Amino acid sequence: MARRGPRPAHQRLKRLLVMLPWLMQRGEVSISEMAKHFALSEAELVADLELASMCGLPPFVDELIDVYIDEGMVYTGVPRVFTRPLRLTAPEGFALLAAGRAAMALPGAEPEGPLGRALAKLAATLGEDGVVVDLERPVIADEVARAAEAGERLSITYWTPARDESSEREITPRAVFVDRGHWYVLADDQRSGSERSFRLDRILHFSPTGVIEPLRDVEVPDTNRWFADDTDIDRVTLRVPTELVWVIERYPVDSTKPDLERDGMTIAVMPVTSEQWLSRLLLRLGERTDVLEPGRWTMLAAQTAREVLARYAAVNPSS
Amino acid sequence: MAEPLERLTNLLALLLESRQPLTLQQIAAELRGQYPTNEAALRGAFERDKSVLREVGVPIEQQVLGGNQAGQTAYRIDRRRYELADLDLSDDERQALQLAVAAVRSDEAWGQEGLWKLGIGGERPSRAVAATVPTFVALPPLHEAVAAKATVEFVYRSVERALDPYGLLLRDGYWYVIGRDHGHDDVRTFRVDRIAGSVRVGVGSSFERPPGFDIRLVFPSDPKLLGEPENEITRAIVRIAPTRAALVAGEVGAAAVVQRFDDGSIDVEVPCVNRDAFRSWVLGLTDHAVVVAPAELRDDIVEWLTGIVGVIS
Repeated sequence: MARRGPRPAHQRLKRLLVMLPWLMQRGEVSISEMAKHFALSEAELVADLELASMCGLPPFVDELIDVYIDEGMVYTGVPRVFTRPLRLTAPEGFALLAAGRAAMALPGAEPEGPLGRALAKLAATLGEDGVVVDLERPVIADEVARAAEAGERLSITYWTPARDESSEREITPRAVFVDRGHWYVLADDQRSGSERSFRLDRILHFSPTGVIEPLRDVEVPDTNRWFADDTDIDRVTLRVPTELVWVIERYPVDSTKPDLERDGMTIAVMPVTSEQWLSRLLLRLGERTDVLEPGRWTMLAAQTAREVLARYAAVNPSS
Repeated sequence: MAEPLERLTNLLALLLESRQPLTLQQIAAELRGQYPTNEAALRGAFERDKSVLREVGVPIEQQVLGGNQAGQTAYRIDRRRYELADLDLSDDERQALQLAVAAVRSDEAWGQEGLWKLGIGGERPSRAVAATVPTFVALPPLHEAVAAKATVEFVYRSVERALDPYGLLLRDGYWYVIGRDHGHDDVRTFRVDRIAGSVRVGVGSSFERPPGFDIRLVFPSDPKLLGEPENEITRAIVRIAPTRAALVAGEVGAAAVVQRFDDGSIDVEVPCVNRDAFRSWVLGLTDHAVVVAPAELRDDIVEWLTGIVGVIS
């Protein structure tokens, strides 16, 4: 367990109010099991329980909470107070419902299963809740998740926007996850010999190979830090009409600030994963957006716009 | 003097056990030796304890007394409001909730705190599927207000809003609250992460949700439409180059593919609710997509691109 400073009283109280009813229901439990259950060190648990056993009101000083510790076991006597946990707070109730609704939208969830029943019971006590989680799951997510659960290697055709090309690769899916509206698979990539994340909407085709590999636990990456924190990546400085800032907000942005010299314009600095990506972004931002830095990209938008116009000349419905 | 945790626990037990509301003097007398004797210090210490208990979620009620204690404030905790309602969860339902919380990543530990109250704990099971659910302090009060049918007030884009919240929707990684905006007397959508400052929740049962309300249908299909009235929907035909055909067909659905050509390119029919959003989508495909019809939308794109070329050359 990670090292922590002294725990503030409100956190200890909060934990105590869930530990005591849990303990009273059991009567006795080992310190190690209880510490694990409540994510505390054994020393922290013993300190909190010993302090609780000192609590009391006249004429029952020291008798309010009947808890004692002996030979690695915790025992309770006749419960007096704190026999039921404190009600769920608004954040807790919301978090459980939202997590449950999100899990229902993940591959493998059954609407009539135990999670659905648990959520119905929870929603009934929290009132008509109106919380909807829409993860817009692609069909492929279920099949890739099944491969991850079985450890089955897949052969995929993957499109890489940075190079604008597709390639054949073999991957062993380990986890399927959704973050900021995009679905990913974290997999062992045969080609690079390392763990990589692939966007599911860029897998053009996949087929099972029949090769089964041993399962292993993985840590799902935080996509916010994937490239945004990578200082090796080129940056671009843009002047964007403020009403179009929503277009760039879907991507990691280092900074935005109002342009002090031009009303209604915003200066934005963002990481650029590839020139192709930047040219797409500039097309979408239109003629009032300028690349300020670096110089090699100031003409990029015009070049790309010319290429697209050439396609319009070639594909003409009226000719 | 007692440790802070000990005094808090005793104060909580006292207010839970007491049959009538207690004044500060009565509380100090019951917990003698635990609070300072100086009047100002006593009040300060008690106020701090009270706010800790409220922060933890303890519903402390207070009332001003009459009779021979007229003017004094008394405090109590209603046990029925304090205690967790019995959810009557079966073992498999508990386990399913634990798995759900384990599969969801959030910035806050709210979910785990909730699980402990339901008697669920221990190590987080690992899963092969996961979702990130962003959390904001505005979400719990909005959720409470939706459940209680209470009007909320908040600042959004520097404007004070009053809203009857009908529901919360997580889509594309963003939380939205949707409801009747009093200022416009119309259904509007707001991005929760853009709400500035705190959300004030009014009294419950102050509105009714329209019958048959479905948040998914009311939600505008594009963030550019937030706070705007719905536009008319145009159907556009877009020619997709062979190298992108599979990708786009996967995105818009096979049913939207209206024609397939020998060279592998396809025509897809897509809705255009909002011109800015449509243009953004088409141009994201650069020279792999060409708007075929209607002429008006095609001309719009050509004009947009010509503008980009013209400014520079």
